Amino acid sequence: MNIFKEGRSRRKTALASAVAAVLVLAACSSGTDSAAPAADAGPVKVGVLTDMTGAFGIVGKSNEAVAKFTINEINENGGVLGRQLEMVLADSATDAAIATQVASRLVNQDKVAVVVGGVASFTRVAVRDVIAEKGNTLYIWPASYEGGECSANVWNTGSAPNQQVDPTVEYLLAQGKKTFFLAGSDYLYPRNILARVRQVVEAGGGSIVGEEYVPLDMTDPSNLVSKVLAANADVLFEVVVLPGTAPFIKGVVDGGYKGKIAGTLFDEGINPLIGAQAEGLIGMQDFYLSVTDPFTQSQVAKFNEQHPEAAGLFSATFNAPAWYRSIYLWKAAVEKANSFDTAAVNEAMDSISLEQSIGGAVSFEPGTKHLNLQMYLGESKADGSNVVLKSLGSIKPLECQS
Amino acid sequence: MSPELVRGIFDVLSLSSILILLVIGMAIIVGMMKVFNMCQGELVLLGAVTGFLCSTYLGNLWIGILLAPIVVGIFGLFLERTIIHRFYINPQGALLATFAIGLVMRESLRNRMSTQSSPVDAPIKELVTIGGANLPIWRIVIIITTIILALSIGYVLLKTNLGVKVRATLDNPDLVSVSGISTKWMYAGTYAFGSALSGFAGAMIVPLQTLYPNLGYDNLILMFIAVMIGGLGQFVGPLAGAALIAIPGAVIGQFISPVTGQILVLVFAIIFMRFRPGGIFQGRR
Repeated sequence: MNIFKEGRSRRKTALASAVAAVLVLAACSSGTDSAAPAADAGPVKVGVLTDMTGAFGIVGKSNEAVAKFTINEINENGGVLGRQLEMVLADSATDAAIATQVASRLVNQDKVAVVVGGVASFTRVAVRDVIAEKGNTLYIWPASYEGGECSANVWNTGSAPNQQVDPTVEYLLAQGKKTFFLAGSDYLYPRNILARVRQVVEAGGGSIVGEEYVPLDMTDPSNLVSKVLAANADVLFEVVVLPGTAPFIKGVVDGGYKGKIAGTLFDEGINPLIGAQAEGLIGMQDFYLSVTDPFTQSQVAKFNEQHPEAAGLFSATFNAPAWYRSIYLWKAAVEKANSFDTAAVNEAMDSISLEQSIGGAVSFEPGTKHLNLQMYLGESKADGSNVVLKSLGSIKPLECQS
Repeated sequence: MSPELVRGIFDVLSLSSILILLVIGMAIIVGMMKVFNMCQGELVLLGAVTGFLCSTYLGNLWIGILLAPIVVGIFGLFLERTIIHRFYINPQGALLATFAIGLVMRESLRNRMSTQSSPVDAPIKELVTIGGANLPIWRIVIIITTIILALSIGYVLLKTNLGVKVRATLDNPDLVSVSGISTKWMYAGTYAFGSALSGFAGAMIVPLQTLYPNLGYDNLILMFIAVMIGGLGQFVGPLAGAALIAIPGAVIGQFISPVTGQILVLVFAIIFMRFRPGGIFQGRR
């Protein structure tokens, strides 16, 4: 996914990976006896793959809790096709090599019916072939991301770039903002998002007055702050990921910037980290805590009650709503196919929809492997909470169109 | 001067003083003691955590800045007496052992944190306007502190009796120990002092960067490059090394993209090491 640094964790923790790989191998070999294939009446295994350790460990904490919450809820209501679900948690440790190993274990030893997971795109790329192609198992990628994932047996349940970017830019242009400065961390996600911003701004008659990227491991973006201040654009559209986000935005606001700051990564999970300078940040997500839909409200309250260890970690940038709907979308497809067979469920997925889900109704746009999502334009308050400025309704994904 | 120029000069000063502040503790442990201390970043982190805790629970980062060197210094002393001292004869072992210590510290913190990063307010949040540019006073405090700290430690090491004993111990422990000085406690004390300085740096910079588990680790590579460029076996070299990579990085970062700037700095470091493998002051010892 998107909110964090992707490249560096691989480069810098090579040694850590080696050590961890040994541990994982040890864990694998001791876990083999529990891998007997499930009998037809027994529980169906759902693979939950996330980063419980390493740089994205906090996101993993949230993902695990949301997966537990969703699977419990399904089990309490009778399971799927009369069978209970059993969650098999796999720690991908914020490391592509480890992710590949644990994904292979989920598919080959645990024989899970579906794998939901991945935090960063490098994890998705590392595991999708192991799960979806070689393993012939359904893989659901629950993250807003840079777009372009169209592989067979893979389904995307987070937002695509156009769903976050287009309405944000159109809103800003309609406010009379004409000049944009683009800033991001230097990797695929920010570059793809900002390329989309450029396209929409130019199509809408605005202009780009600067575009700058900082290295992922740059902890002090002072140079970038100076460039933003010098350019003095109407809008700063930024995708500088953690931990650079807070110092960057504080620097820009304290430096006396008068324009609007917008981005794809602002929500209750991120804004409080920025401090009072978060006031007025414009974001676009598929869920905010302030979304008034009664189903969303009651589910989030229930989640916080059942999972006090993850209370406060239910947010869009942690992919929480996407994890919830992923498991329900799969359940609906299994029920439609009346089978757990990968090919049958895969075929059914294409036209699945949920009338209610956290954040609102969703449906797969046939042929795109992506969801029509309810999107919300949010503005941050000084305390990091968000008000929904505008509920945009369902937005179509512009992905995988041949 | 235009506000842009003022900001540009300020960025150079600020970025290089931060790197030098981070490197001071490492200059002692890696530079002088020649212990390949892979947990140096986590000593910075521990100082940052101390700062964060004082700022959150006592509402006062100043206390944290005073406590951080004490806490981290005591921790360093404990670390040296339990683990590090066993590896003086085995530098490769020290590399692995300190990496493991760092990993445990980093992941323990991650496990305890409920957010990916926590903001810490600077004790002085005000800005000062110089030549039309708004500059954060806290960064100015860091620039001044770094200069004073580097000068006074350099003075102690090079001009005082204690400094002579420390340098002699690290140079030739056998000779020093027959002269009646306890090398055991000299080593332990020096390691603790290097740790304390890193802890202090951590508490000073945490308001600029927010507290997150990789706070120290993210800077480790640059810190090591600074020490390598500066040369092992001395204190001043690594600080000069830090300035030598931070200043061009900050200057060219203003004209070209910071990404290219960082690559150029690393290329520069490689070329430099090719021609002066002993560091800036090679051959002067």
